[in-house]
Amino acid sequence: MNGNPPAEGPTVNTVLGPVPASELGVISVHEALLSVVPGAEHAFDVTIDRAEIFEALAAKLRDFRGHGGGTIVDSTGMFHGRDVRLLEALSRATGVHIVASTGMGPEELLGGYFLTPQTNPPTPWPAEKFADLFGKEVTEGMVVPRVERRGAAGLVTTTATREGMTATDESLFRGAAHAAVSTGVPVSIRFGADAVHDLEIVLDEGLPAGRVVVGGLDRTDAYAAGWPLAVARRGAYVALDHVGTEGDGHVSDAERAALVAELVESGHGDRVLLSIGTPGVSKGEPTRDLTPEQPWSHLLTTFVPLLKTRGLSDEDVQRIVVDNPRDLLTVGPHAAHEQEVA
Amino acid sequence: MPRVNTVLGPIPTEELGLVAVHEHIGYGMPGSELDTRWWKTPEERYDETVPKLRQFHEYGGGTFVDATGICNGRDVNYYQSLSEKTGVHIVASTGFVGGDTALPFFARATVDYLAAHFTHEITVGIGNTGGKAGIIKVGVSRGGRMTDLDKRIYRAAARAALATGVPVLTHLAIDAENAIAIFTEEGLPLDRVLFGHVDDGVNADKTRDTWIADQGGRIGFDTFGYETELPDPPFWARPRKERLEHFLRFIGEGRLHQVLASADANCSPLGWPGVEGHTVNYIFEDLIPDLRAAGLDEAAIRTIFVDNPASFLSIAN
Repeated sequence: MNGNPPAEGPTVNTVLGPVPASELGVISVHEALLSVVPGAEHAFDVTIDRAEIFEALAAKLRDFRGHGGGTIVDSTGMFHGRDVRLLEALSRATGVHIVASTGMGPEELLGGYFLTPQTNPPTPWPAEKFADLFGKEVTEGMVVPRVERRGAAGLVTTTATREGMTATDESLFRGAAHAAVSTGVPVSIRFGADAVHDLEIVLDEGLPAGRVVVGGLDRTDAYAAGWPLAVARRGAYVALDHVGTEGDGHVSDAERAALVAELVESGHGDRVLLSIGTPGVSKGEPTRDLTPEQPWSHLLTTFVPLLKTRGLSDEDVQRIVVDNPRDLLTVGPHAAHEQEVA
Repeated sequence: MPRVNTVLGPIPTEELGLVAVHEHIGYGMPGSELDTRWWKTPEERYDETVPKLRQFHEYGGGTFVDATGICNGRDVNYYQSLSEKTGVHIVASTGFVGGDTALPFFARATVDYLAAHFTHEITVGIGNTGGKAGIIKVGVSRGGRMTDLDKRIYRAAARAALATGVPVLTHLAIDAENAIAIFTEEGLPLDRVLFGHVDDGVNADKTRDTWIADQGGRIGFDTFGYETELPDPPFWARPRKERLEHFLRFIGEGRLHQVLASADANCSPLGWPGVEGHTVNYIFEDLIPDLRAAGLDEAAIRTIFVDNPASFLSIAN
């Protein structure tokens, strides 16, 4: 089905099939290859030329690989431009492993099918239905809408509303956690107004903290509140996932590097993850139409040297960009105690 | 010369024939395409759809107006193939069934952008299909009151209707004061608006159908066939006799020239089970016989199904 021989030992779900976890190399965990605001595909002035998109993304992936990158995680979920066949072709053409995600959120980005279904009253979907929808994308394959299922999702991703988690966001978070518990893939959450609160929601569903990555912890509000350390203490992965972005509600790279050093010094080096978070190609968000030529290699060319000036060793760096994301993405079962032993 | 945009190009109004003015080839809420429980193979979709359209054509049906908005599974190149192979004219919609069926890209858009988008779909085409929209769909979100987004869509629709001459078709006619205020502010004559679903089982009591008609709007009795007598009726079903009497009472008050009638059936539903046994052909198999039995003459039936839709759908300029 995917051309890869059956993998031995721990594996990660990539768009080309399970790959031994040890082969992933440097991993960027919170990226978007093609990002499409839901609905933009229908807009009269938005062109979706898949050949052109492929060319642009392939160049950026080759650049990432040329600077030592191994794996990109497309954490856009199932309803923000994910194009499984395009991702497969990109992985084959560039040699970069691509892990695709299931999941959706926040509430504002959902289709009406989930929010105002054709029932009276129109009750939004509960967690269990989201769990089933997301879980099947791991066990049966990711949907190419109304056509087929292809490949297995490598993680479940969801996001809370910036002003604070809504009731439907909570259903998404609980559903994502259920799907992760039953399938063994991790959960990626992007917090809304309170990182620790939002993390507790998925943990409340029995998901071990080591199976969760919390994104957006390099936002200025997270930095000010001390949430990176709080999340690490709770045992979840801390994603500083806007490396290279300064302003726009995010800390600078210098502050980011200091934060990484602080987490390492306080014994949480095994919980830090890094990512760029700039879409390779973006459709439907006018301010993001112009994306950088070399978005993802910045991590290795610029930010890692900055970390070393902060006193991080090669081993620290290796742990952050290779070992931590590898452990996160490795498909379970993961009992809570295993996480502690590991 | 009066003309109407169909998915295969403009046709003279004279060619419309009998019109089913509020129908769906296949409707699904946005996001339903992600849920495999509703998926059908292309073979199944054609198999469920083509016989209904052929039957419609054989009964003497001329034109099928598809009221499926953007993001609801509207599929214009599929409609083009269906129209070409069955001989039924198909008119496609631009616009949205309601704010709650507009995806975030459009939900965030300004009135100007929405108007430009609708106008583009009417004058240039929908996507890369070459097919142009012949009507603008708007509607009231679930909950009974127009939301801010619903209002932006109504306002944009009014502007696009004025710019292009294409009419507006509403999903639900509740909260009509707000709708009419917007159309009036924008200067759109109300005979360019068909206020739909005045007859459904949930909303009929809350819909000021005669008031809307007095303002000059056209009135859609367009959920004929969704009856409580069905084995598994949907929540908007209504007793057959009650709907028919509502309709007869309404046209009996001198409003024959303001009404349109349709069945709002899905040929092959996309994101819901549909209603077994309910098709566009209810118009021929049940409704027209019921109207004849109630004493309507052939001229009145022609007014409802041919003349009124022709004057409504003709591009005004």
